Amino acid sequence: MEEVDKILIHALKQVGTDLSEETDSVKQFSSELIVEAVVKCIRVIDPGLGNALPTLLPHGMSARFRVGMSLAQACQDIGYKGDIGYQTFLYSSEPEIRSLLMFLVEKLPRERFEASDQPSGKSVALQRAIAAAIKAQLAVPWLPPNCRLPKYCETQSLSALHSFHVKPLSLPHCTKGPAKKHLKEVTDYQRNILSPVTAQLSSRASMAVSVLEQHMAELSAAQEWDSEWNSQGLLSRLTPQEYRSRKLTRLRKRIEEQLRSAAQPSPESACGVPSSASDLSELLHAFRGSAPSDHILTKSTHFTHTQKFTFTQEAAAVTHSISVGHQLEGDTQLHQQQELAALQEQFQQLCSDVDHLSADMKLMSVTNAQVLDELKQREFGNSQNEEKMQVKKKTVDLLPDADSNLLKLQALVEASTKRVVNLAAQWEKHRAPLIDEHRRLKEICSSQDLESSRKLSEIKSLHDKIQVSTEEAKKKEETYKQLLTELENLNQDVSRSAYTQRILEIVSNIKKQKEEITKILSDTKELQKEINNLTGKLDRTFAVTDELVFKDAKKDESVRKSYKYLAALHENCNHLIQTIEDTGTILREIRDLEEQIEAENGNKTVANLERILDDYKAIRQENSALAAKVREG
Amino acid sequence: MATTETQFMLSVGLIEKDVNGDTLWVWCYPSVGSELRQVLLSKCCLTQDSRNFHTFVFGQFCRTWYYITTAEVQEPTALNKVTHFSIAVTAKDFNPEKYAAFSRILCRMYIKHGSPVKMMEAYITVLTKGICQSDENGSFLIKDHDVRKAYLAGSIKDVVSQFGMETIILYTALMLKKRIVVHHPRIEALLEFTRVLPALTWHRKDWSILHPYVHLTDAELEDLKKCPGYIAGFVDPDVSNRSDLFDVFVNLSDSVITVSQSAKAMAMGKLHKEIGQLIVQSAEDPESSDSQVIKDISVKTKEILANLVALANECEDSKITLEGLKQHHFPPATENFLFHLAAAEQLLRI
Repeated sequence: MEEVDKILIHALKQVGTDLSEETDSVKQFSSELIVEAVVKCIRVIDPGLGNALPTLLPHGMSARFRVGMSLAQACQDIGYKGDIGYQTFLYSSEPEIRSLLMFLVEKLPRERFEASDQPSGKSVALQRAIAAAIKAQLAVPWLPPNCRLPKYCETQSLSALHSFHVKPLSLPHCTKGPAKKHLKEVTDYQRNILSPVTAQLSSRASMAVSVLEQHMAELSAAQEWDSEWNSQGLLSRLTPQEYRSRKLTRLRKRIEEQLRSAAQPSPESACGVPSSASDLSELLHAFRGSAPSDHILTKSTHFTHTQKFTFTQEAAAVTHSISVGHQLEGDTQLHQQQELAALQEQFQQLCSDVDHLSADMKLMSVTNAQVLDELKQREFGNSQNEEKMQVKKKTVDLLPDADSNLLKLQALVEASTKRVVNLAAQWEKHRAPLIDEHRRLKEICSSQDLESSRKLSEIKSLHDKIQVSTEEAKKKEETYKQLLTELENLNQDVSRSAYTQRILEIVSNIKKQKEEITKILSDTKELQKEINNLTGKLDRTFAVTDELVFKDAKKDESVRKSYKYLAALHENCNHLIQTIEDTGTILREIRDLEEQIEAENGNKTVANLERILDDYKAIRQENSALAAKVREG
Repeated sequence: MATTETQFMLSVGLIEKDVNGDTLWVWCYPSVGSELRQVLLSKCCLTQDSRNFHTFVFGQFCRTWYYITTAEVQEPTALNKVTHFSIAVTAKDFNPEKYAAFSRILCRMYIKHGSPVKMMEAYITVLTKGICQSDENGSFLIKDHDVRKAYLAGSIKDVVSQFGMETIILYTALMLKKRIVVHHPRIEALLEFTRVLPALTWHRKDWSILHPYVHLTDAELEDLKKCPGYIAGFVDPDVSNRSDLFDVFVNLSDSVITVSQSAKAMAMGKLHKEIGQLIVQSAEDPESSDSQVIKDISVKTKEILANLVALANECEDSKITLEGLKQHHFPPATENFLFHLAAAEQLLRI
């Protein structure tokens, strides 16, 4: 009971009830304390319900009565199934109060369990700590610099701000495993000469960010490599080094191509000779170089436009005309008109030239086609004629002895046919097995391909599983660490282990008791069986004896006497047994009554009754006072 | 005569597709150059990814005609692990029917015996004697397959019925030795259509301009560009973007003929209209056969050529010049046509 009370008191203290340190049992709760505790609990369980109830018990009796009723109603709303009314609060009894408080404490929301629903992880705890610290700092009011306490100088002034400068760091790489061998010089350098990270940087401010940046770069590079290797690297079935080298060559080639294509246009734009230029912009460049004044420049550009659209080979003539225009530099209208007329004449001349040339070109192309065609035909004819000539020559050679030569030729042809067929058959003997071998190997190759792709997919799935399990393991470790820290920070005055121990003890006790009870029950059963047995035996024996003796009792006097003694004995023994049974019953009744007395004593009924009478009197007084007030006013 | 014809056959090759999905060139006699081998492998339908199965295709590459017959191997047979095979016969002459018949015999022999030796024997027999026993009744005789029959085997009436008056564009292009490109997604339609086009210029009887089955590969296009004028058939629809390859583009499936912008020689006038009407009339006549139509067209062609020769004879050294033509004051389209025709017939003064 003490432990229960301790738990209840602790829980009520957490809710906010004002309990002194000495109260360690529910028996000592006064009505005011009970009301306060219950209301505080209800406020936590159900704020809407609880805020309507007062924590303090008022003095007026009727008010107290009303508060009691509303509290009882509230408890029933929450779900308390026991018998509850105003009397539970005003005239309390220990068992009732205990059960009510236990119910309420159980109903209290489990904040601690809810806290663990939030994302676990050590970083979350750290973030919460940071948030709490920042909140505290923000809660501190701002003061002018002169009035500040030294500990707030740093956080409230601008000197806390630093710009984000990152400096490159040189870190020695520690390699695990004998595969990578470092050169001796490198290890020496790293051990003796390379300064530590804190000394490598010029300003303290950039240290943290540089380290973070370095770490971030390495981490992201490793992650990228991991993801790339898992997706493409495994598929390519190369070792990591081979894959990397291949990727390197591929990238280098691409860069080379890009540079080459970017570099190419520049040589073309570099040349400024007008006669070789075919682009409008290049012509303009050239003309800008040769004509200094803008006046001439505009004219030349107009010229270049027309030039380009008619005949590009006239570029040479254009430079000539430009130099002509240059000489005629004058400002009078007449000059300009003369120039215009001259230029127009030239333009006409050039157009007709162009027409002539295009007609010539057309003719040239057509005759060119004709000549080429003729050439081709003649070549073909030539080759055919050559072949025919060869055959005819041979025939003519053989002509003198025509018949025999013909026979000889036929025999020769047949012989060579046979020989060729023979050779073909021999070749076939070699060829067929080779082709079969080729096909067989191809089949094996494709089946192996299937196998290897299946295995690759298996490897991939294994990789995924590994990843998932590593993540889970990480999470669980973090949760474990977090819970460990939380456990350390836990309030020590409530030792859960002690409670769990106690509970386990109680459970084992109960088990033992149950065992004992069952033993006792079985013993009782045995005894009862024996009693029944014996009673039966007794009856039977007595009946037999009775009959026996009675038979003889008619004849013999001593037998009659013994019969009477027997009957009396039987009677007395029965009596005895009866008395023993009655004694047992009475003892049981006594025990029950004693228990009842104890329970009733705990109820403090007498004290409560007195109080009730007092309260009743007080209510009657209040009533009469109220009635008098009403009558008066 | 028969002996010279047998010398047209150049080689026979065997391509097999096996259960692994590989297509291999397994055997040939006497020998096939590696470039031609590549081309033949690409033309054979077994190397192409699509499931289309073409029993017989033919084409020209480097002045060599190739005829590819493909067959599927049905169980049971002496050939295990082979699902399909093709026989590629190369020759110097154009005669699809002859080589198709011959290839069929070779196919049957190969399926029956499972060894190319028997095929080779048949090939040599034809090469030396011009005749070959076939498993079916009868035998294969070279002289049964005259080249004239091959030339006339196509149907000119179908061409005219598909394109109507626009056939004159094809006629003009062929007369002026221009480059015609025909496109159709199905190779059989392409072969059937293009083989009859050279018949429009029957006076030349030149089927070497015909390249009925070309792919857009560098080697084949190089070979194609060596001919000044050609009829090229493409299955690849991208060829319509290659305006450097044609003066006239025929979209056979949509029945649309397009003349390239740069082909100035193809301007047409009254003369063309006349010829076009003649062609259409002759083809529409249900009584006339294909050869009759070709004959009619060739008669008209001869007439035009006779006129041209007469014009040439008026000038010195029997060669036409542009000035000479201009003196006759033909309408400009006709003048243009005659000028280019003279170049094509080698009547122009250089």
